Amino acid sequence: MVRAVLKGVLAHKLRLFLTAIAVVLGVAFVAGTFVLTDTMNETFDTLFEEVAGDTDISVRATSGFGEDAPIDSLRDTVPASVLEVVRRVPGVQAAEPTVTGYAMFIDEAGKAVTTAGAPTLGFNWTDPDLSPLTLRSGREPQRSGEVVVDAVTAKDHDFALGDKVKVLFRGPTEEFTVVGITGFGKVDNLAGATLAIFDLNTAQRVFGKVGRFDSVEATATEGVSSLELRDRVAAAVPPGVEVVTSQAVADESADAVQEGLGFFSTFLLVFAGIALFVGGFIILNTFSILVAQRTRELALLRALGASRRQVLLSVIAEAFLVGLFSSVVGLGLGVLVALGLQELLKAFGIDLPASGVVIQPRTIVASLIVGVGVTVVSSISPSRKASRIAPMAALRGGGVEQGGSLKRRSLAGAVVTALGAAALLSGLFGGTISLVGLGAALVFVGVALLSPLAAVPMARIIGAPFPRIAGMAGKLGRQNAIRNPRRTAATAAALTVGLGLVACVSVLAASIKASAADIVDEYLAADYIISTTNFMPSISTELAPRLARQPELAAVSGLQTGDWRSAGQTRSIYGADPGSVGQVLKLDVTAGDVGGLARGEILVGEEELKDKNLEIGAMLPMTFARTGDRELRIAGTFAKNQLLGSYVVSTATFDANFTDRLDFVVLAKARAGAAPADARAAVERVTADFPNVQLRDQSEFKQQQEDQVNQILGLISVLLLLSILIAFFGIINTLALSIFERTRELGLLRAVGMSRRQVRAMIRGESVIIAVLGAILGLAVGILFGYAIVGSLDDEGVGKVVVPAGQLLLYVLLAGLAGVVAAVFPARRAARLDVLAAISYE
Amino acid sequence: MQTAAARGTNLVKVYGHGDAAVRALDGISVEFAAGQFSAIMGPSGSGKSTLMHCMAGLDTITSGQVFVGDVELSSLNDKELTRLRRDRIGFIFQAYNLVPTLSAAENITLPMDIAGRKPDQAWVDRLIDTVGLRQRLSHRPSELSGGQQQRVAAARALASRPNIVFADEPTGNLDSRSSAEILEFLRKSVHEFDQTVVMVTHDPSAASYAERVVFLADGRIVDEMAAPTADKVLDRMKSLGD
Repeated sequence: MVRAVLKGVLAHKLRLFLTAIAVVLGVAFVAGTFVLTDTMNETFDTLFEEVAGDTDISVRATSGFGEDAPIDSLRDTVPASVLEVVRRVPGVQAAEPTVTGYAMFIDEAGKAVTTAGAPTLGFNWTDPDLSPLTLRSGREPQRSGEVVVDAVTAKDHDFALGDKVKVLFRGPTEEFTVVGITGFGKVDNLAGATLAIFDLNTAQRVFGKVGRFDSVEATATEGVSSLELRDRVAAAVPPGVEVVTSQAVADESADAVQEGLGFFSTFLLVFAGIALFVGGFIILNTFSILVAQRTRELALLRALGASRRQVLLSVIAEAFLVGLFSSVVGLGLGVLVALGLQELLKAFGIDLPASGVVIQPRTIVASLIVGVGVTVVSSISPSRKASRIAPMAALRGGGVEQGGSLKRRSLAGAVVTALGAAALLSGLFGGTISLVGLGAALVFVGVALLSPLAAVPMARIIGAPFPRIAGMAGKLGRQNAIRNPRRTAATAAALTVGLGLVACVSVLAASIKASAADIVDEYLAADYIISTTNFMPSISTELAPRLARQPELAAVSGLQTGDWRSAGQTRSIYGADPGSVGQVLKLDVTAGDVGGLARGEILVGEEELKDKNLEIGAMLPMTFARTGDRELRIAGTFAKNQLLGSYVVSTATFDANFTDRLDFVVLAKARAGAAPADARAAVERVTADFPNVQLRDQSEFKQQQEDQVNQILGLISVLLLLSILIAFFGIINTLALSIFERTRELGLLRAVGMSRRQVRAMIRGESVIIAVLGAILGLAVGILFGYAIVGSLDDEGVGKVVVPAGQLLLYVLLAGLAGVVAAVFPARRAARLDVLAAISYE
Repeated sequence: MQTAAARGTNLVKVYGHGDAAVRALDGISVEFAAGQFSAIMGPSGSGKSTLMHCMAGLDTITSGQVFVGDVELSSLNDKELTRLRRDRIGFIFQAYNLVPTLSAAENITLPMDIAGRKPDQAWVDRLIDTVGLRQRLSHRPSELSGGQQQRVAAARALASRPNIVFADEPTGNLDSRSSAEILEFLRKSVHEFDQTVVMVTHDPSAASYAERVVFLADGRIVDEMAAPTADKVLDRMKSLGD
């Protein structure tokens, strides 16, 4: 039996290829995601090991957030006296202080040296024995005015020894001379970050940490373990200072990266899952068609004494072989996909470090299980159908067209759709994201079950113009699409999934864009918005005060944001200039006194005030990473403002509780009566000194928001393209199998005078109907999903649903075009059919 | 004898090469007169189907010449052959004659619809009434009996008033009553409607409906018979060793 199955599979290589490709692509996506994230993980692990490699312990300020403080929560600094304390502890061989901060290079052309998300780091030079830095050329920085640059930045921007470079800090820009170029262990830089290294005094001055250190790193003498050293030093340091092993710091960093990568890998795996889900439809459909076509053969086997179980197993065994073959090919392809994904993400501005290719056993196992699993599970229903074929069917022959009522199937479809919709909605409104995913998958399955009902009337409508365009060929094409509604619907369903998700994302994006514009109109009063490209908090604190001194401007405020905690929950807080925040934002203080901000008090949003049962005048307990537990008096409350969140303090209060404060945006309002051109020129005079910022007026700002949404929409659409591609292969496969099945009929048509061109037109018509049917069903589902998701985002400020009709219509047209392309190969086969062989075919 | 609706001269058809070569047609010359009902008979493997396929432009000959009317087939490309079949030849096959997605009426006018021509409605109506399918026109093939399906096929073969109708074992799958109906219709279409029919069969009683029978054996014409009866044909076939 196994040999018969194997022979059967190999005998139809083309069919095997077309069936396998659905699984191959899905598995390649899964494997590619794993390879990419594993490779990046390893790259980071190596880096952090490198960083920690030479030291044993790290002495730093305790975090107000406690033990489980996230790595990116900023700690306070420690007093410089800690260094001497550490050095005096017996067992400490050497101890070096570190001071780090924001430092951005400016190249010769005056442009900021930005990164694609990695930090722009500055820190002090330390003893090479305790530092991962390895000088490649030049020497270490010894005095004020000297800087060492990482090798990548030096190479990319032509910084040579002796060059004068400008560096931008929180404060004013300063000029330095490049005295050295350094690598980071064996690598050229730290995961894409730019590095500027100064002598200790300069670092303390430019980072605003005079007399302070961020941490002290120490090594142990021979015979003293890191843990021992940690405990000894811990006993010596003053309160508010903690000692951890360097290994623990490396682990913290690695864990943080792993968490980030985990999210990223989940994000990609979702799309891989979608691709496999679509692939499942194709497998199910292909095996259904094959079983129907082989009714006679299978019945003959039954008549010859094969048991039901054997027939069932023979179909499943075939699926298993196809799945295994596809998984192995997909796994190989996955390495290429990993490289492709990396390039794709780079194109969308996400540059991730990855060196080498890491293929873990987990990747291989997961790929095989997923590929074989999807194929075998998808073949269960067709193989059960095969096992129910009566031996008598061998004698009756034909029996290809499936009969039977659609009632039970439709009922099941309705139930599954309803369940899916319920899961989706409860997931969206308060549930988990995986419930949303499950709901969406169920809705697609339900719609696929229901779609044979819609297939006939819809195919009639879609194909209505065909007879006029292509005469009899068009009419026959339309009839062929209708003749087996289940097959047409199942083929279209694969496309429905991909296009449904694309439509959903399009609706979501259009709605977010519209809402973003509304938010600007409703909440923003400033004429000019100054920010960095990605709204990272990296605007010098010098900028806002200098703008404020321009006579053409009436009000200027920088905005800061950070996290605080209360009862284990993390919340956001915003800092702003108390005197001008009301002029640059439409801040509607409904009760209390905005003046309280200047006295170190806090404003709380109305909804939050109600939700948390807070009162104006009461003290709000807050925990900050730097300063620990604090209590701020609630000065007043304000009407919802999407640009400000729920908690607002003055910049001074913010500074007191956060380290390394930088603005993420600076807002400026022109003085009444100032000519717009003059006001803008005034702003530009100041921003010219800060090359990392961009100036936008309100309409430019709206445009930028729109561009950002479009970019995300683009990325998601590209990732969904794979599912659509799989569906596209599904159409080719179904058409090819149908043509094989209709050999006789095609022969007859050719014999009675149908030209090859007409045969091609006929197949094309069928293909276009399937594609457009899938697209329309997809759009319908997608628009409904869009409504549901936008509805659930009401609190986030996405208020109204916008259906981008033109764009969606374009998708339908593209689907039609894809249908034409999908038909090319099957149509050519059909047209080349040997007429005589076809009509004498028994 | 009138002018030929189709004729072949020195037809040779060889399958395969070298030692494996089979001469399916071994120098046949034959004429099918317009307005005549002819039958081609012969044992299995005698080349009767091959002869029909070559005469009808479904298969190419190795050497010789085939004319349908005054058109020589070997000079035609696939497109022209297709058009010739569509406009000048009618076909009735043993089975699977109809397009399952089309109604009986649509199947009857299929060749004209493919050509994008308007059928001669009076003529088509006459054919429909003659085959007795007026009540069944909107039915799909799957809703028709085997005999009815063959009658639809016969009506289709004649609907475009072709120069010649080729029928390949048209009664091969039918019971005797249905067979008689089809054969009667073919005879009527020749005698009353002045059409030309060539039928391949191995059934002597079917052959007896024809005016002339051509006997084939081993790729050659071995005999001809005018005004055949079933008994005479049967005797002749026996001597050919069927």
